[in-house]
Amino acid sequence: MSIPSSASVVIVGGGVSGCAIAWTLAQKGVKDIVVLEKDTLAHGSTGRCGAGVRMQWGAERNCQLAQFSIDFFERANDILGYERDIEFEQTGYLIVAANEKEAAQFKKNVALQNSLGIPSVYLTPEEAKDIVPHIDTSQFVAATFCPKDGHLNPFHTTEAYALAAERLGVTILKHTKVVGIEVENGKIEAVNTTQGRIATPIVVNAAGGWSKEIGTMAGIDIPIYVQRHQILVTEPLEPVLTPMVMGFSYNIYIQQVPHGSIMMGRSDDTEPFDLRVTSGWKFLEEMTRTCGTLLPYLRSAKIVRQWAGHYCMTEDAQPIYGPVPGVEGFYLALGFSGHGFMLAPATGQMISEMILGEPLTIDVSDLDIGRFERRELFFEYSVV
Amino acid sequence: MLIRTGIVTQVLIEKALPSPERRAQGPYAMIECFQEIPCNPCSISCPFHAILPMEDINELPQLVPELCTGCGICAGVCPGLAIFIIDESKGDEKGLISIPYEFSPLPQKGDVVMAVDREGNPVEEAQVIRVVQSKKIPTPLVTLEVSLSKIHGIRFFQPIKNEEYIGDDRNTNPTTTVEPKDGEEDTLEMADETIACRCEGITLGDIRRLIHEGYTTVDEIKRISRAGMGPCQARTCGPLIAQEIARMTGVPIEEVDPSLHRPPTKSLPLAFFMEDN
Repeated sequence: MSIPSSASVVIVGGGVSGCAIAWTLAQKGVKDIVVLEKDTLAHGSTGRCGAGVRMQWGAERNCQLAQFSIDFFERANDILGYERDIEFEQTGYLIVAANEKEAAQFKKNVALQNSLGIPSVYLTPEEAKDIVPHIDTSQFVAATFCPKDGHLNPFHTTEAYALAAERLGVTILKHTKVVGIEVENGKIEAVNTTQGRIATPIVVNAAGGWSKEIGTMAGIDIPIYVQRHQILVTEPLEPVLTPMVMGFSYNIYIQQVPHGSIMMGRSDDTEPFDLRVTSGWKFLEEMTRTCGTLLPYLRSAKIVRQWAGHYCMTEDAQPIYGPVPGVEGFYLALGFSGHGFMLAPATGQMISEMILGEPLTIDVSDLDIGRFERRELFFEYSVV
Repeated sequence: MLIRTGIVTQVLIEKALPSPERRAQGPYAMIECFQEIPCNPCSISCPFHAILPMEDINELPQLVPELCTGCGICAGVCPGLAIFIIDESKGDEKGLISIPYEFSPLPQKGDVVMAVDREGNPVEEAQVIRVVQSKKIPTPLVTLEVSLSKIHGIRFFQPIKNEEYIGDDRNTNPTTTVEPKDGEEDTLEMADETIACRCEGITLGDIRRLIHEGYTTVDEIKRISRAGMGPCQARTCGPLIAQEIARMTGVPIEEVDPSLHRPPTKSLPLAFFMEDN
């Protein structure tokens, strides 16, 4: 495909966020949108993520963004006219509290969630065992559960957005890497790629693990860091685990996908800040130990593969949305801190509203890049 | 090379060969199966227990040459056509090799065919000594008499048509397909119903549709279809899909992005990695 010489909006990153932004803008009538992807769609964090979506957050913004997104996912096959299936299943998230301090926080979280209309509940370990019979109740003191949380297929979701966007005239260029961004007198002028130059007044940085680098090209230092997170998956088993089971201080998320595989991940604070996606031995040992303790039933399940992707982290574990002071036309949709996939529909909505100057459906003006300097941070602790 | 071209290297072949003493004693099974895939018909069908039982279905078959009689059952059940029965004990500078053969028409006893090597290059003309097919040997085994000195290089044969070997123009590049002549059926083309990914049950037709839709890397096809995500980790379907991409897009196979290989190499239970194990 030949590269257009100009565009109204250039979106950097062919992950779910970039594709969702492109589709939302196109659907609102914006023409000449270009999405640039240096590899293939969903090659970065999207295609490597744990695939879960939940509304059980501790920060109000995350709750609202997730609510918007889950509402969209429920109807996404129809809205996007997708012929395959995004495989959205709402089988719930069971989140376990490892100690009393965490349990107290969970009570507050549930109160916040309920106030926003999220149907989460606070449970005793015995009540949790009714939902996940194989769980070892001696390992936690309380739990929360939301039946509307669930999971969906990241590859198909991204494809659904991309195909719908292309039908609306969006140009998606795979294997096209951004090598520079031209800024003149504080305004975006053009994007230079390995395939040529595209003149544009607007660039959206949705480059996930590579978004800091893209920021540097436009002359700004984005306060994010990138860390490797790993996942392993077992052979397919008969259905044994209905909801996602998650623990923050326990450091685990684990779920059975529709295909039957059990997929699990955990984080490692000691990981260096870099772009590696190799698989590590330490993770394998820690992960199997964590899972084998909480869900002893799974000890005999066989691991078939292990992989890694990036978390693009912010200090408060909430995304950065919106324009950048001093670089007119440069918009950020990044720093998702491990939950960019599940927020993609909201990301598309927020960024499109900001670009078009529409009123914000959710007031995310406090998730701007300036909050770090202003020190107006609300820390999200509900992350693995 | 095996992973890209599907052609076994000499090192692997030598590892699979029984000892010279055993080979001199009579027919034996030569198992050229070098990639761990979920497959065990050879092991469970051997009436002499000469192929060790597999604790894990992904294990490679292990032959106990002393117990093997060269009966041919394993060669006739191997879905990968990776087992050959070799007899080097005749003693007249000739040897016998039995080759599983899935094409039709089947050759007949007495026919002269062109014996070819693992890459499809012609080696020598050979006579068909025997053709066996039975309930226990579902894939026909065609036994050729060949020069003893060349027996380890011969692994297949082609019928001789019009005194000309049809494979001549694809000797050097295994990805070049032979264009069928007008009215002649292209027997090298695999059917859409062929299972490309056995772990996930994805057919070649599914793969072809995705390539047609514009997915031209093994990883993209893996993400959309699950082909390659199963226990064998694309060891079986990866090269096949790459080959199909090359065939349909005209890109040389060397330039098709191969699938990423994910550890662990072999499926192991969680408990294996836990500290208290």
